[in-house]
Amino acid sequence: MSGHHDVSYLAPKETPWKTIWSWVYTVDHKKIGMMYLVTTLLMFFLGGVAALAMRLELFEPTTTVVNQAGQQAVEGQFFKGWEFTEREQLVTANNVYNRAFTLHGAIMVFLFIIPAIPAALGNIFLPIMLGAKDVAFPKLNLMSWYTYVFGSLFALWSILQGGVETGWTFYTPYSSSTNWGGVTAMVLGAFILGFSSIFTGINFIATVHKLRVPGMGWFDMPLFVWAVYATAILQVLATPVLGITLLMLVFERTFRIGIFDPALGGDPVLFQHFFWFYSHPAVYIMILPGMGIISEIIAVQCRKRIFGYRAIAFSSIAIAGISFLVWAHHMFTAQTAASNAIFSALTFLVAIPTAIKVFNWIATMYKASIAINTPMLYAMSFLFNFTIGGLTGPPLATLATDIHLHDTYFVVAHFHYVMMGGTVLAFIGGLHHWWPKFTGRMYNENVGRLGAVLVFIGFNVTFFIQFFLGTQGMPRRYATYINEFTWMHQISTIGSFILATGLVIHLLNFVQSWIGGPAAPRNPWGGLSFEWETDSPPIEHNFPREPVITHGPYDFDTTLPPHCDPREFPLPDPAQSARYSH
Amino acid sequence: MTVSNTSLGTPVLASAWDRLWWGGNVEASTFAEGVDHVFFYIFWVSLAFFVLLMWLMVYWAFKYRRRPGVAPQPSPSHNTALELTWSIVPTILLAVMFFWGLIAYIPMKVAPANAEVINVTARKWAWGLVYDNGASPLETEVIADAAAPIFALPVNRPIKFIMSSQDVIHSMYMPAFRIKRDVFPNFYTSQWVEATKITHRWEEQEKKFVPVNPAESKGYYLACTEYCGDQHSQMWGRVMVLADADYALWKNQQADTSGVSLPDLGAKLYKSKGCNACHSVDGSAGTGPTWTGIWGKTHEFTDGGSALVDENYLRESILEPAKHIVRGYANQMPTFQGQLTDRELLALITYIRILSDNPQDKAAAEEFSARELEESKAAKNAPAN
Amino acid sequence: MTTLPLGPAGVELEPHERYVPGSHWRNAKDELEAAKLGMWLFLATEVLLFGGFFCAYAFFRYLYPHDWHEASRYYLSWQIGAANTAVLLLSSFTIVLAIRGAQTNRKGMILLNLAITQLCAAFFLVVKIGWEYMPKIQKGELPGGFFTYPHPHGDYDHIFMSVYWISTATHGFHVFIGMIVIAWAMWKAAAGHYGPKHYTSLENVGLYWHLVDVIWIFLFPLLYLV
Repeated sequence: MSGHHDVSYLAPKETPWKTIWSWVYTVDHKKIGMMYLVTTLLMFFLGGVAALAMRLELFEPTTTVVNQAGQQAVEGQFFKGWEFTEREQLVTANNVYNRAFTLHGAIMVFLFIIPAIPAALGNIFLPIMLGAKDVAFPKLNLMSWYTYVFGSLFALWSILQGGVETGWTFYTPYSSSTNWGGVTAMVLGAFILGFSSIFTGINFIATVHKLRVPGMGWFDMPLFVWAVYATAILQVLATPVLGITLLMLVFERTFRIGIFDPALGGDPVLFQHFFWFYSHPAVYIMILPGMGIISEIIAVQCRKRIFGYRAIAFSSIAIAGISFLVWAHHMFTAQTAASNAIFSALTFLVAIPTAIKVFNWIATMYKASIAINTPMLYAMSFLFNFTIGGLTGPPLATLATDIHLHDTYFVVAHFHYVMMGGTVLAFIGGLHHWWPKFTGRMYNENVGRLGAVLVFIGFNVTFFIQFFLGTQGMPRRYATYINEFTWMHQISTIGSFILATGLVIHLLNFVQSWIGGPAAPRNPWGGLSFEWETDSPPIEHNFPREPVITHGPYDFDTTLPPHCDPREFPLPDPAQSARYSH
Repeated sequence: MTVSNTSLGTPVLASAWDRLWWGGNVEASTFAEGVDHVFFYIFWVSLAFFVLLMWLMVYWAFKYRRRPGVAPQPSPSHNTALELTWSIVPTILLAVMFFWGLIAYIPMKVAPANAEVINVTARKWAWGLVYDNGASPLETEVIADAAAPIFALPVNRPIKFIMSSQDVIHSMYMPAFRIKRDVFPNFYTSQWVEATKITHRWEEQEKKFVPVNPAESKGYYLACTEYCGDQHSQMWGRVMVLADADYALWKNQQADTSGVSLPDLGAKLYKSKGCNACHSVDGSAGTGPTWTGIWGKTHEFTDGGSALVDENYLRESILEPAKHIVRGYANQMPTFQGQLTDRELLALITYIRILSDNPQDKAAAEEFSARELEESKAAKNAPAN
Repeated sequence: MTTLPLGPAGVELEPHERYVPGSHWRNAKDELEAAKLGMWLFLATEVLLFGGFFCAYAFFRYLYPHDWHEASRYYLSWQIGAANTAVLLLSSFTIVLAIRGAQTNRKGMILLNLAITQLCAAFFLVVKIGWEYMPKIQKGELPGGFFTYPHPHGDYDHIFMSVYWISTATHGFHVFIGMIVIAWAMWKAAAGHYGPKHYTSLENVGLYWHLVDVIWIFLFPLLYLV
């Protein structure tokens, strides 16, 4: 059985044709993870281009001016001149903007953030961290990826049909009545992507339950595994509700079933309930894996036992549970005072486990040995941004203030601080942290640090000012706005290009590393979980023989990291360590 | 955090602080102060936590930065007292936020029985307001690049908006009053408000309403905050808050249009009813056909039929817009059935006729309007009965 | 890769007797338990999916209680529904017998009972399409905006028909998928893949089929009887 299985999973086969075949027909979780990584990053790029186009459009407020011919004309619109005709109708510059933000939202949510961490990094590292050879259902895993590609093609097809201008939330009756573009294709795409998400979730739950290495108890698992496990539960329990909602929306558009159509006696608010019953838990599908990455980066790069391991693990599960009870806080301006009061109270419950996680991460840094490298810079960026994102949640959960702030730029800034400043930065941090492992190459640390600083600055310049835009009353999804907001929008646009520059630097750094980076050692950071025991990149079945669990993933004060120089990663005085040993 | 009603005597710093947070929308309703108090409670609590956490993070990252060959110092990875503290303290602070927020929110939901009702109709893409005397805002002002109807609210008196939508979901947002309520096509929603600061007064010499203090406020605005399509960002309204006598005067002025000629009235309605959101009067393309030169043209329909654009066709298009759809356009327009008086309908039709390319049509329309204005004035001056 | 293990007398074993778990599994028990866990999770997603229809049903029943009640009597025949219910219950029983056949190593029993299940499923779909869908399409008793039946009973019959159509059609689609997987299980059974030691996929097919039945057990009283 051994022999040819001992080579790197990235090693080419005898012929190029066989190499390609070994990828498209693979059941190896690492290859599937890599394919997810490439496809989701491609989608991130597309969504990012849409975002930059939006920011350019918002650089100027658009004011009506009288031109020389004495006619009124609209100036200062980036999309002016991008108008086109669709089914004999004029698609206005505003409409082009609306398509841009819908595309940005739908791609980033359904095609990038939701699959990015669990299906890419989770796929590669979850089985390795458990000491397993693969996920529970390798063929299902491959099918998830093909389902993802199939769903993405539907979403891209909707662009070819002219795009979608409903907003990624597809609120009825707007989405069921609009006759523009490819709404049905985009909704079907999101429906199909849901299956991909469900398959991945089922796979990971079964893997965590049944493929842990013998002797590994639940509380011996790395926290990234806990986070992906909590995410998988959410994927399995929440996604079907989105599926049925989107299916009903497709029926609404094709068979006019009228369930969400007020003209036929249906109720559009029912759609909002259905939609948010999925999409609120989906917020935690997006953030929980990011939290898992941060737990890994902080523990390993600080060489410190994570503070409050169980509190972090349980808070992931608590967040997953509570997330099902808070959906209607997206609708405070739509429903009765009584249900608002209930959902406001429930929403505050989410804040507690989230706050505990942040306290634990920062407490872990106490008396640590902190490497200021790219992953750790990202972990600190995450803590900074995620804390802002978290602390701007309460004004939106509080009834009185949410009435003012709902659907303004305050909300836009808040969820970008959580999703982009939180999840996406955690994802990029995780990419750097595990890059040496899954590619077998080191990246240039100084270029990585430069990129991290630029991304941090760019992100905050882009989004911090948007809190003030929001409190001052700038509604979201606006193609045009009043002059008072111009300078703030311009700062935001400038920030978005700093952010983009930082991301491009990372991309170039990764490309350079992939082509000519120095070979990575097995354990560059001195980590203790199983992925640092195997080769960089891992062999096809991960380990030459089944690994044996001899220590916890965070026993940094008592265990020398494998494959490392003890002089580089020395242990503290054993007598001192014994005082705090477990 | 409050700003006094007059700009005199307001400390400059406090004013800058308020403008940073609220821009031109400083507290202007009875709810606003309560909302802002909760907001700043949350803000200061959040800032305290943020500064503490970030200071610890940066300080420790520096103090415990990795030195070659130096091991981390052992420390506990668990401390029940500490963990309980940082669980319970935030819980209490959050509970205060919830209850305070609820207390500030409940008044928004309980309208006083004596509130004057204003009916609001939202449509793509305009707000229609009808007062209890039948008045609708006639004048408009350009906000961003859209014509926004100017409407008045009385100071220190409760007003209740009863709202419905003719097409998709909209949301009525007046940031200065800290109110926002979604507007639905299948049921009525309502929101009440009591404005506290006069923004405009009647200037007898100029015969118009002017800002009390232009430097402080040009009036407040109303915006749509539920995405509703192409011109979602152009559904503005301008709010004037008037003293009681001025408010009564304004309502009467808007209700009585008998002294306005048909083309003038049509031009006002074109903007105040939101026709301009889709139909241009300069020949440029839009969501609906331009009105310039439309009179006397033949319209071809999506169902293959066609019709000459004349009085009857226009009347039908305004009252039953879905009956025939002009080729190249979508079935988008809401009906104006019941929202225009006969004279207003005539005014719009006459206005479109005046925009005709044909000088004869133009002249005929102008002559007709002049005659009609005389009759209209006479009818008003004639004793009732 | 590996040579086929042979029986005691050198006889080649049936596929189910020489079954080895996938190479990433530590033992067959883990693999079986994971497969069942995965299947139960999938069934949970199915229940949640249909939960959306049940929510819509409950919501509109609450909104239009009278119309809803009357529409059920007016448009649907409980006799047809009951016949289909009986057939599905029978099929659930026969698929259990098929699993019993695998446990007791009787290939004929597996195949016979799967065939009966297949017939029941086909009967269900034929009745559903031939005696319910076709007449309704002809009469115009269609969902929502396409509802053209000239003699409606109440004001919201079209919404009732919407919920009826989307829920029963989605269920019918599941029955159809069930027929495909049962056919696949029959092929596996005929090739000797199921026996006392290994019949995981047959058991999962059975679980799926039970779910399809259970959903109908809820749809039938809600749509036809209540």
